[in-house]
Amino acid sequence: MAAHTKPIGSRQTCQMVAAVLVLAIGLVLAQTGRPERIISIVPSVTQILFAIGAESQLIGIGSFDQVPEGYDRTDEFARIGGLIDPDMERVFTLRPDLVVLYTSHVNQRQQLERAGIPVLEYEHTGLADIPQTIRSLGARTGRTVQAETIAARMDTRLASIRARVDGRPRPRTLLVFSREPMALSNIYASGGIGFLHDMLETAGGENVFEGLERENVAQVSSEAILAAAPDVIIEVRYAEHVPAEEIEDERNVWRRLSTVPAIRSGQIHFLTGNHFVVPGPGVVEATEELARALHPEAFDRTP
Amino acid sequence: MLRAEAISFRYDTAEVLHDVSLAVGHAGPTGVLGPNGSGKTTLLRLMGGLQTPSAGRITLDGRNLSSYPRGLLARRMATVPQETHLVFDYSVLEIVLMGRYPHLPTFATEGPVDLEYAAEALAATGTSDLAARSFMTLSGGEKQRVVIASALAQLFTADDTTSSSYVLLLDEPTASLDLAYQLEIASLIRELSSRGIAMLISTHDLSLAASVCRELVLLRHGRALAAGPTRDVLTEDMVRSLYDVDAQVTRHPTTGDVLVIPVGRTHEHTQ
Amino acid sequence: MTDAGIVATRTALGVGNLRRRLLTTQAVFAGTALAVCLLAPLVGPTPISLRKVFDGSIPFADNVDAQIFFIARLPRALAGALVGGALAAAGVVLQALLRNPLATPFTLGVSAGASLGAMIVIIFGLPLTVVGIPAVTLASFAGALAAVGIVYSLARLRRQGLSTNVLLLAGVTLNSLFSAVIMFVQYLADFSQNFQAVRWLMGNLNVSGYEPIVWALPLMAVAVAGFAWLPRSLNLLTLGSEHAATRGVNVLRAQRLAFFSASLATGAAVSLGGPIGFIGIIVPHIARLLVGADHRMVLPASAFLGAAFLVICDVGARTLMAPVELPVGIITAILGGPFFLWLLIRSR
Repeated sequence: MAAHTKPIGSRQTCQMVAAVLVLAIGLVLAQTGRPERIISIVPSVTQILFAIGAESQLIGIGSFDQVPEGYDRTDEFARIGGLIDPDMERVFTLRPDLVVLYTSHVNQRQQLERAGIPVLEYEHTGLADIPQTIRSLGARTGRTVQAETIAARMDTRLASIRARVDGRPRPRTLLVFSREPMALSNIYASGGIGFLHDMLETAGGENVFEGLERENVAQVSSEAILAAAPDVIIEVRYAEHVPAEEIEDERNVWRRLSTVPAIRSGQIHFLTGNHFVVPGPGVVEATEELARALHPEAFDRTP
Repeated sequence: MLRAEAISFRYDTAEVLHDVSLAVGHAGPTGVLGPNGSGKTTLLRLMGGLQTPSAGRITLDGRNLSSYPRGLLARRMATVPQETHLVFDYSVLEIVLMGRYPHLPTFATEGPVDLEYAAEALAATGTSDLAARSFMTLSGGEKQRVVIASALAQLFTADDTTSSSYVLLLDEPTASLDLAYQLEIASLIRELSSRGIAMLISTHDLSLAASVCRELVLLRHGRALAAGPTRDVLTEDMVRSLYDVDAQVTRHPTTGDVLVIPVGRTHEHTQ
Repeated sequence: MTDAGIVATRTALGVGNLRRRLLTTQAVFAGTALAVCLLAPLVGPTPISLRKVFDGSIPFADNVDAQIFFIARLPRALAGALVGGALAAAGVVLQALLRNPLATPFTLGVSAGASLGAMIVIIFGLPLTVVGIPAVTLASFAGALAAVGIVYSLARLRRQGLSTNVLLLAGVTLNSLFSAVIMFVQYLADFSQNFQAVRWLMGNLNVSGYEPIVWALPLMAVAVAGFAWLPRSLNLLTLGSEHAATRGVNVLRAQRLAFFSASLATGAAVSLGGPIGFIGIIVPHIARLLVGADHRMVLPASAFLGAAFLVICDVGARTLMAPVELPVGIITAILGGPFFLWLLIRSR
């Protein structure tokens, strides 16, 4: 068979150039390795990603995740669902190159692995792990510098809070994070582990449920509260703003347990904002608010 | 004493009974005989005061049924339904005592007099030895007799020791029973009747109607084909009209009752 | 009628005096329930001294034992007695009305309506109280009333009288419908509201005050007044509505009274303590195994038994895993089920 040689025409030249270009881009991408289409359904991870400046790499977030105030392009992020059932179909349609899930999302992780999509698993841990999480997210998204800044600042500020309250008597505190509105039932309090507990400890308080090896104490009974007799009661709420009359009404709900020292001395504090429930960079502010509530005199002087 | 005058009953748009008249007295049981779907049960419910006719009137001792207060009517008339299905297990005595309901004020409990009547009702139906038994464990015939006893207990009153003002209505009393029990019930009916209790019996059982009822109303498609003494009304032509069955009507050699012997379905039987 | 016959009949019932037997049985059950209610506040994870509780010299605001007794425990015992008694009695009445031993107070949709009312308040957040009663309680009662209204209207639609079949079908359908709506509403809610909602649905007697009890009391009283008229009619109703009518029972009135009293009792009970299951079906059967089928015995006996049972279960719920409270519905199921099975086996 005769060799069939033809001169290289213009069409073939274009094809060859295109191929080389694609190869080049791929090589460059492979070098940086940083994901540009991240989907995160974990609220704290989403918050951290914004904080370290990785929002341009973010394409999808959880339905309840909050975008920082003042950020004007909030609708450019697809809402994927929440803890219970993330919308996997949507996830696949968006073609992400990194998906952040809870470790409990076993099914979803398997689906993503089958599709060859990289997965990052997240699990709530204690306060001390948050800076570490920030650092590792920074590494993963190519934002190591910003991440380090934020994490270091967190470490510093937390240390400063600890120093302020150091040596002061630690009031026995009941930290309530959920309760049926206007009633003393369905009270959920922080147990002896978890980041809420850690924040309380850092802020100079002693958790009445310190001895319990659980993160959440579900349905705390009135009897338990009367028996524990906390010196301070702190209620944390997710909502950003609660009207003053409502807070006053809710404070009054506690009045009937009049032997509890916290109630007699009026030491019932309401702290609102999602930085109390989302273990992200905001926990520093949360911890400081807790410390101010527990040790107001330690914050009288300006730092 | 219990009389229906040209009554009709309409259910939604269907006319279930049309222009039926009958009388129930003390001479002997009156029967309503007809095939299934002829309107017998409806007729019995109307006669028992459970429903009101769309036309015509029903009177007890000359007074319209609907003018009787509920409790008074229940003390004069008792219906024995075709079947009794218990959901919870009562004893026989409890069932019979329940018949005393119309005689007791709401919060009263049964007293010795009520117990007396219950005992009498049990004796009359031959079920005294079943008093402590659980109703659900009884045989079909025994159950039926107990329910009849309950109806009797409902009717007995202190100021009227004769049975002249009671009416007992029985809806298909032998429908679900075996032969032996059918005979039991038939003989019970005869005995109660001989004590003077007026009875209205609905049935599709030819032999029961023939052997027990003194008067018959033949019902087909809601209309009375004939009414009168059994021996006059229960003829071969009537049986044919009622059931599409050819039969031979004769007299029982021993009891003298009217005896109907089916021969075959009308269109099969060719001359 | 022979004397022997009469004697035989009398001994059959064991009756010299039915009334005396009724009253004695009721007294025994009532006494048991009362004893349980009085003893329950003494039991709990925190040891308290009865003397200190009633020590008048210590001001209430300083007496922890007294506060535990009067604020944390006694209202729960009272609420438990009310809820348990109401649910058990309603179960008896509905089983008779529907002629179905598997009927429960929740069969006709009352509890589903109550749950939906509660869900809506929890999830759309109306944190207010009216004269000391949480909005959740009021809303769940409103939901219960709505369900009752719907079911009753449906059952009356087609013909005269009250069709128990339509009642049953309407109730079952309403249950499914409301459950679906509840699930949908939960889906819309955020995480913490869902928590609250799910916990409410598990039942909870942690009323830290007497207001909800005081509020529920007149409702229960009305229901009890209705129940008081029913027992003999119920006996006859279980034989069949035709059978009852011919015995002189005003069937429609009895059915209406049964339906509304049972629904009122259930609605109040669920508003107070959430939908605590199991009591309404099992306690009536246990009562029947103990006292027979006559509703004059069964109805009061069930009520007292239900009260005692729930109070005991609640002691377990608040003590077993203190300071965490278990949903009392779990305890009722775990205790009641095997006990009932044992009774059944024993009576064979």
